[in-house]
Amino acid sequence: MKHFRYLFLAITLLFAFAGQAQEVAVTDELETSQVAAEVQQDIAEEADAVATVATQTADSNVWEDIAHFFETMGIVRVFDGNADSGDWRQLIMLLISFFLLYLAIKKQYEPLLLLPIAFGMLLTNLPGAGMFHSELWSAFLDPESPAYHSYGAILKEGGLLDVLYIGVKAGVYPCLIFIGVGAMTDFGPLIANPKSLLLGAAAQVGIFITFLCANALGFTEAQAGSIAIIGGADGPTSIFLTSRLAPELLGPIAIAAYSYMALVPVIQPPIMRLLTTKQERAIKMKQLRSVSKTEKIVFPIMVTTVVALILPDAAPLIGCLMLGNLMKECGVVDRLSKTAQNELMNIVVIFLGLSVGATATGSSFLNIQTILILIMGIIAFGLGSAGGVLLAKLMNVFSKEKINPLIGSAGVSAVPMAARVSQQVGQEENPGNFLLMHAMGPNVAGVIGSAVAAGLLLSFLG
Amino acid sequence: MILLAANWSHIIMVTLLGFALVLVLLVALIYILKFFGFLMRPRIKVEKTAEVGEEVGSARKQSSEHITLTGNATAAIAMSLHLYYNSIHDEEPTKVTIKKVERRYSPWNSKLYGMNNLHR
Repeated sequence: MKHFRYLFLAITLLFAFAGQAQEVAVTDELETSQVAAEVQQDIAEEADAVATVATQTADSNVWEDIAHFFETMGIVRVFDGNADSGDWRQLIMLLISFFLLYLAIKKQYEPLLLLPIAFGMLLTNLPGAGMFHSELWSAFLDPESPAYHSYGAILKEGGLLDVLYIGVKAGVYPCLIFIGVGAMTDFGPLIANPKSLLLGAAAQVGIFITFLCANALGFTEAQAGSIAIIGGADGPTSIFLTSRLAPELLGPIAIAAYSYMALVPVIQPPIMRLLTTKQERAIKMKQLRSVSKTEKIVFPIMVTTVVALILPDAAPLIGCLMLGNLMKECGVVDRLSKTAQNELMNIVVIFLGLSVGATATGSSFLNIQTILILIMGIIAFGLGSAGGVLLAKLMNVFSKEKINPLIGSAGVSAVPMAARVSQQVGQEENPGNFLLMHAMGPNVAGVIGSAVAAGLLLSFLG
Repeated sequence: MILLAANWSHIIMVTLLGFALVLVLLVALIYILKFFGFLMRPRIKVEKTAEVGEEVGSARKQSSEHITLTGNATAAIAMSLHLYYNSIHDEEPTKVTIKKVERRYSPWNSKLYGMNNLHR
């Protein structure tokens, strides 16, 4: 019984607490609901006010967005008078890029490089697209800028073309291309007839005469050296030297170099015909001796060692050229040789072409300097061709074995286009005359000669 | 003014020295190549057919007078020498045998096989 009494007391107490708690809760609920009603009323009033304002703002934002959209259109940027966002020069550059694309696709003038260069030019001159930031590269070259020589700043701030351009700036692409060129070149005709090296050297005369002329026209020595190397008719060498000596001229020089290389069949034949007689053009040359495999293997190692010991500045280009050739000739690394000839070469050509084309912005390309560079380039090229032909004629005076002077013009690199031109012009006079293999000697000697000339200019002017 | 502003002594030095160095370097390469060409030229050892000096000389003289080679023979010799020195001549087993002509039977062409036999 006593237990039941305690139990009853506990239950009563529990109910008493529960009742009191419920009463408090009800009171709180009433108060809360009153406050909530007031708040809801306030919110509703504020919402009405906001909705009214929002409707008005939305109307105005639509018009602002449309106006902003029109302002950001590329074609509007060209004519808005703000040179930073775009100007008429970009339209002209777009037209030039269309013309270069036409030359590459329809006329097939050096399409492998001209097409990516022209498309890079197209991308960089699209107003407002911001594909290439020349201001970042200006800061890169400015010693007072915090981004001076900082590739990190380029990676952080730059776009795709800026990142690809690092390979040009660091001189990586021309060397990689030279590995591919070496892997595709047969130095056999040069080894069989070492005198070809003289013709390759004579054809570099255009570089040095143009260096004088460019200085006389008011270019700095470094700029004059970069312009003069166009006479070597070697695209990678021109890019390599210009990126070191005068990076501000990279676009016009690269385009001039590759354009003239593409125009070899147009530029060279009149010079060759002018400087030679019919009898000279018809000279048949003695068959070249065969070259053993050992000679072909020793040649790249020997040339690299000799040139690098005498002229270390030429080592990157000559070294890469000869590495590619050694991979081809040794016969034990076929996979590497094929990669250098195909995949590596093609990838680097795309990167190089796009990024070089990207440097040809309206402001940097459309000026009097570019016109002078184009004129100087063709003078250098013409003088180089003439130098090779004239030395071949001179060699005929002293030599018992006559050489056809037409092969001298092939000394200006442009492999193998220049050798093909010698063959064609020779066959015009004598259809049974095959000069191609004889012309390949000076042609590959020209590659070595222009790389050596570039190394010399770099060591004197760099 | 532009002409006066330039450092012409340096420019002319770069021009002349630059071209001269290109020439010198490539001429040096010519001599190095010739030297290596001399070292690596193919050497053919001619076996002596006669024992002493004068006899050998007269024998050579006689043989050179009597040798007449047609164009085909010269081309064949040149080709074989080229293959030999470039190490691309195929290895032959040097066994002359008459191989048994084997005719393999296959159910896939049995009818054709039979028909051909009939025609023979």
